[in-house]
Amino acid sequence: MNTPFPDRDRIDAHAKVRGATTYAADAPFPGLLYAMTVPSPVTKGTLTALDTEDAAAIPGVVRILTAEDFAHAVPNGTHMGAPPPTLETAIAYRGQPLALVVAETLEIAIEAAEAVRPVIEEEPFSALFSSPGAVREPAEASHVGDTEAAFAEAETVIEAEYVSPTQHHNPMELTSTTAVWADGQLTIYEGSQNSAAMRSAVASLLGLDPAIVDAKSPTAGGAFGQKGWAQRQTAIVAHAAMLIGRPVKLVMPRAQVFHVATHRPHIVHRIRLGADASGRMVAIDHDAAQQNSRQGPFPPHYHEAAMRLYDIPNYNGTAMDVRTDVSNPAHMRAPYEHPAIFAMESAIDELAVALDRDPVAFRMAHDGTVDPYTGQPYSSRFLNECFTEGAARFGWERRTPAPGSMTAADGTQIGWGVSAGVYPALVHPAIATLRITADGRTRFAVAGHEFGQGIRTVLANVLLRELDIREDRLDIPIGDTTAARQHLTAGSWGSFSAAPAALAAAERMRAALAELLDGREIGGTIHQQLATIKRPFLEVEVTQLGPGQDAATLEQWQNYNFAVTGPAYPGFTAMSYIAHFVEVRVEPRTRRVRVPRVVSIADCGRVLSPRTAQSQVRGGVIWGIGHALREATETDPRYGGYLNCDIADYVVAVNADIGEIEVGFIDRPDPLANALGAKGLGEVAMVGVSAAVGNAVFHATGRRIRELPIRIEHLL
Amino acid sequence: MQPFTYVRPETTADAVRAFADAGDGARYIAGGTTLYDLMKLRVERPRHLIDVTAIAGLDAIDTSGDVLRFGALAAMSDVAADPVVAGDYPVLAEALLKAASQNLRNMATIGGNLLQRTRCLYFRDPGAANFPCNKREPGSGCAAIDGLDRGQAVLGVSDACTAVSPGDWPVALTAMDAEVELLGPGGTRTLAVADLYRLPGSTPHDEFALEPGEMVTAVMVPKTPAGAASTYHKIRDRESYAFALASAAVALEMDGERVTRARIALGGVATRPWRATGAEAALAGADLTPETALAAGHAALEGATPGRHNAFKIELGARTVADALLIAAERSRA
Repeated sequence: MNTPFPDRDRIDAHAKVRGATTYAADAPFPGLLYAMTVPSPVTKGTLTALDTEDAAAIPGVVRILTAEDFAHAVPNGTHMGAPPPTLETAIAYRGQPLALVVAETLEIAIEAAEAVRPVIEEEPFSALFSSPGAVREPAEASHVGDTEAAFAEAETVIEAEYVSPTQHHNPMELTSTTAVWADGQLTIYEGSQNSAAMRSAVASLLGLDPAIVDAKSPTAGGAFGQKGWAQRQTAIVAHAAMLIGRPVKLVMPRAQVFHVATHRPHIVHRIRLGADASGRMVAIDHDAAQQNSRQGPFPPHYHEAAMRLYDIPNYNGTAMDVRTDVSNPAHMRAPYEHPAIFAMESAIDELAVALDRDPVAFRMAHDGTVDPYTGQPYSSRFLNECFTEGAARFGWERRTPAPGSMTAADGTQIGWGVSAGVYPALVHPAIATLRITADGRTRFAVAGHEFGQGIRTVLANVLLRELDIREDRLDIPIGDTTAARQHLTAGSWGSFSAAPAALAAAERMRAALAELLDGREIGGTIHQQLATIKRPFLEVEVTQLGPGQDAATLEQWQNYNFAVTGPAYPGFTAMSYIAHFVEVRVEPRTRRVRVPRVVSIADCGRVLSPRTAQSQVRGGVIWGIGHALREATETDPRYGGYLNCDIADYVVAVNADIGEIEVGFIDRPDPLANALGAKGLGEVAMVGVSAAVGNAVFHATGRRIRELPIRIEHLL
Repeated sequence: MQPFTYVRPETTADAVRAFADAGDGARYIAGGTTLYDLMKLRVERPRHLIDVTAIAGLDAIDTSGDVLRFGALAAMSDVAADPVVAGDYPVLAEALLKAASQNLRNMATIGGNLLQRTRCLYFRDPGAANFPCNKREPGSGCAAIDGLDRGQAVLGVSDACTAVSPGDWPVALTAMDAEVELLGPGGTRTLAVADLYRLPGSTPHDEFALEPGEMVTAVMVPKTPAGAASTYHKIRDRESYAFALASAAVALEMDGERVTRARIALGGVATRPWRATGAEAALAGADLTPETALAAGHAALEGATPGRHNAFKIELGARTVADALLIAAERSRA
């Protein structure tokens, strides 16, 4: 815990840049068939007939699956996020798959899918948050203290509404599934964060014994939450492979991914924030209303982190679903924290301006040591250290407070903004096996998925520090139900849960080896030691539990594919923190906003892999800039669905949009979270960035833009 | 996608003949960066493709004479990298380099680029929603006019269509009085680039002043010292790899601080490459200052018709012209 980890190269970097990494859709199979879905052209209605005659007549079409191929009732409970993965006749959103065409080539599958003619009885629909017919449904609230009494005493009150638009994850890797049914075993290859759910959803939907289903997602090409749950197409493709008896692959076109996979919903945050006569924040009303689908299970839990951002003793958090005719929203990187903290840190900035306080000093004055929601102490909290370090590196003391006061000679307006970010430190149990062989190999199998965040490099860094083993023959199979029991890798608990298991396994390995050597002194690597004593291999297994987890947690994992706890643990609360400092430059005439530099300092406890941790934060900052200045999925309420459903018109940030991003870490171990002193990082990295950008735009221009993305037209 | 035939003739004469022989549904194809994309979206449904990329010599770049002559098959990246273009005609080089990505510029040809079709989302319809679109399905109506029209045109619009002419290169060519050389069943002719594009009017599907079977064989730009005092200024929703919200191609002839002749064309805001002759006239003889530049910008947008969400383009277009004029004037001093 007390030694920083070395800056190891990403262990899969060379394979990735050489194009050698095999993603799910790359796996070759003899006799592979290609599938294409038939998307619903309407937003709501009932499919009354499906004319497949012309499509089926196209040479090379093997089979067309329809809702009639899915008589099996759909169980609820384990398939959160995406809708039940079958074909149905009730149409709930534009783009819903109505049929699956399977053919000898991709081109034939596309041609035939376009030739399928659905007959649909259309119904009226509500496509927008603000549409007539959108049903407002109050959800679970979170309260601390007595805000009403506190507001009665407040001297300064800020009240405003902050809007975060619908967004899509857009990982580079498209949604895909390849299913192989051979020798009584069904194997699914899919870019996923949740091979456990792939297996259980397919088994339950197709009525199979889970023992004959395996799921493999060794490397996903980006996921960001979109690949966290059982996906819509998985069981459909699996069913096709079993009916036909040949491997079947579906890769969804980008426009279909927009419609069929999940998204971050449109959210309206209403904030009322009060300070007392001494300028101390005393109360906040925070209402979060999110657009949801009619039946979607994604809950509006926007307060868990927001209420722990600063020491504000009275917090009234309310939430609402606005039910509309859209596909299901679900988790997208920092799903709650990112929009909620955008709203809160914007409001706090407005309050600091109203009180004529420096935005950094004002925030630092509201640090706390106790979780206001539980009354428990924080395990560690170095947010103020993040502010201090970030301000020093950024040069914050050179900032002049008045909006528009930092103008360059050519009229370019310069603005400096700040924000904190916070994210719960969540943990999942892990069962891991570690095998070291005399011929030089090491294999560490555990629950987890690699989607670019660097979990394999983290695990390698722990194992190679703890054990004298060969780096070049270290194999870390993850995302594979044949290698270890799998879970949902999300919520920044992936590395945070697997790395302590790697440490525990290494310790057990050392103990097992010592027992085997029985006092003999043998030099060399563990491989050489095993060779000397003529043992072909040594294997250990560990079950790693987070603080307070027990057998019941393991049983929950077995039953629901994941079992996560935190941030409130017995006796303490654990959170990760970050502070972002952003410079924007706004052009004098055409009002383009540029972000030449960002400084972000994170407190994620002990940093397990400096290289991939820095990448995580840079990526998070880029996501935050995208959220602040670029991205929004747009819906024409007359048609429903998504209009800009490709990555030409859904504007993500490109290299030219990104300036210098300096990343730093406090790198002090959390004493209670686990034996490594580590906490999660992947999501806190982006929390608060969009607020810091918006606050910088205000500082540059005097314009407070409360609806994202901030675009040229808002500043002309 | 639907099946199509494919031929790859080796001479222009064979290409024109192949087109005529193919009958309905024939299309020439060069780099394919637009046509394949639109075929996948089902917007273009050709029955026959005549691939012209095997025609020898059609990619020649010749800057030795009184005109810059670019063969239609010259890659966008090659023209942008030509020393004369890069050195003496920044408006042309910038228009090419601010378009698309390097991968696309390596494939796309400067002839095919002239015939790129609009990026209007209701026209492209990537989600296969079958929006009414008078360009895609003549007579079906226009979903954009009463829809999400932030990206739509404010100049040259009609009741039938407000789709933006998407190109950058055609805007620069329009400002520089360029011509295209065309070859068809009736022989060779030349046409001003400015006359290649039709206003949408009541027939927005009829976009180009081309006879059936005509192909672009070359682009010619008259040489002028104004080329050096020029720029293509492009404002978009991100800094690269995006179409223009507003753009301006500007070239100046200056006498000290006084403008003797200005060439101004607009992109991103109009239904065709938009030569702003009124703004040019207003500027002729005037000193170029930030104020006169902005006044010229406003003159360039005169007569603009805002839609529901794109009124900002009128002011943005004017300011883009102003910035472009100031950049070009700076270059005239170099």
